[in-house]
Amino acid sequence: MVMIDQKTLQKEINNVIDSDFEIYPGIQGDHTICIPSVQLKNVIVMMMDKFDCRHLSGITAQIRSENQDVIEVLYHFWIGSSFSLMIKLPKHAPKLAEITSILPGADFYEREVAEMFGVEFIGREEIPPLLLPDDWDQGPPFI
Amino acid sequence: MNKISIPIGPQHPLLKEPLTMNIDISGERVLGGTLRLGYVHRGIERLAQQKTYVQNVHLIERICGICSHVHTTTFCHAVETLLGIDVPIRAQYIRALMCELERVHSHLLWLGIIAKHVGLDTIFMHTWHDRELALDIMEEVSGGRVSHAANQIGGVRFDLSQEQEAMIRKTVNDLSDKANTLMDVIENEPVLQARTKGVAPLSAETIKNYCVVGPVARASGVDVDMRRDHPPPPYDRLTFNVITRQDGDAWARTVVRAEETRETLKLCHTILDEMPDGPVSVRAPRKVPEGEVVVRSEAPRGELLYYLRSDGSENPARLKVRTPTLPALNLIPKQLSAIHVADIPVVMAGVDLCIACADR
Repeated sequence: MVMIDQKTLQKEINNVIDSDFEIYPGIQGDHTICIPSVQLKNVIVMMMDKFDCRHLSGITAQIRSENQDVIEVLYHFWIGSSFSLMIKLPKHAPKLAEITSILPGADFYEREVAEMFGVEFIGREEIPPLLLPDDWDQGPPFI
Repeated sequence: MNKISIPIGPQHPLLKEPLTMNIDISGERVLGGTLRLGYVHRGIERLAQQKTYVQNVHLIERICGICSHVHTTTFCHAVETLLGIDVPIRAQYIRALMCELERVHSHLLWLGIIAKHVGLDTIFMHTWHDRELALDIMEEVSGGRVSHAANQIGGVRFDLSQEQEAMIRKTVNDLSDKANTLMDVIENEPVLQARTKGVAPLSAETIKNYCVVGPVARASGVDVDMRRDHPPPPYDRLTFNVITRQDGDAWARTVVRAEETRETLKLCHTILDEMPDGPVSVRAPRKVPEGEVVVRSEAPRGELLYYLRSDGSENPARLKVRTPTLPALNLIPKQLSAIHVADIPVVMAGVDLCIACADR
């Protein structure tokens, strides 16, 4: 079983994003940190290289009623404890770097977020439908 | 030889559930394939936002027709965490007992399918007969063979009588004998070994790169089991062995599930032995305070993740369900490359697909 020390991981993430990240204390049972969207891939590459952290349990996207202009994306990792990266994207142009090329297990998770929330994953070719019908023309259902 | 693309599904005799695939072959060799989900997508995550928490227990149960109980257990655990409710310990044990019986019947179902796919109809018949015994217990205590409606927010709907406990012990003993016999048959059946040993091996590296969980991961030496690693109650008080193998082929996946069935039946006895007396539910308010939670549990197919956010109302503001089959499905196109056409069913069945879970 992989056990990664949260403090060591946070220190390394600080080094990658070259600034202090914000800790989001709101999710019970999870250690959540907010990072800039442009640093997502760099942080995950570092987590994989330095900590062999590849257990991505899922990606959750959501829009909060109190902040409807933002799509929030959570990358849920298992590192011997529950750990999530939170990224906030503008709803009018939600773009995020893909990580499927470095972690193939993210493929279906990214496709689902793209389909349901209209997030564009930079670096991926056009994403075919995964869950919605081929002739679905009503836009992302969660938007 | 020319490449031929064969469309399979969404409804096809090869498939137990609807899935759309395109498999490219050249002669008897498979070159690769693609797959597409969605035929049984019901929009459950979106629908959950329009239902109350109480209604959602029943909605969530319908995500899957095999592991329905672990879904409601995980959902209730998430809601109860936000509510700050302490579920009675006896209720936790009854939930765990149902989860383990679900694991037994799910694994026996899978063992029957793999036997059927390699032409061993007798093993198929026996495992599916034995599976009925586990379903009998679940029906006896809950009233339902498939959808048990055992859980409610704050505990479980029913208690176990002494007669029921005695019946469960006797049936679990019978099942243990049958599981031992099954293990002997599996280990000594040359056809099964010929059709599964060395077929579609998955390295631990591949498993990790594809984020695969559960028995498929454990059959490749990736030792992960949320009952031990992130134990929801009462698993933090229970002891059991996590079964792993190193080979990563269809044979290892078969042996892991058969061994796990035996270990799970032992765990059923442990649960019954350690189950305390007491109440089985507490009253829970309909409105859930604002908050968010991530919970994990070990479904028969592996790690199940629920993310739940409440805005203080009677309905969830967001419910995310990541089922264990989803990453395993992602792996299938990779597994299909460079195998024989005759091995397609073994490879497909090997990851223990649950399309209803993956589609939600």
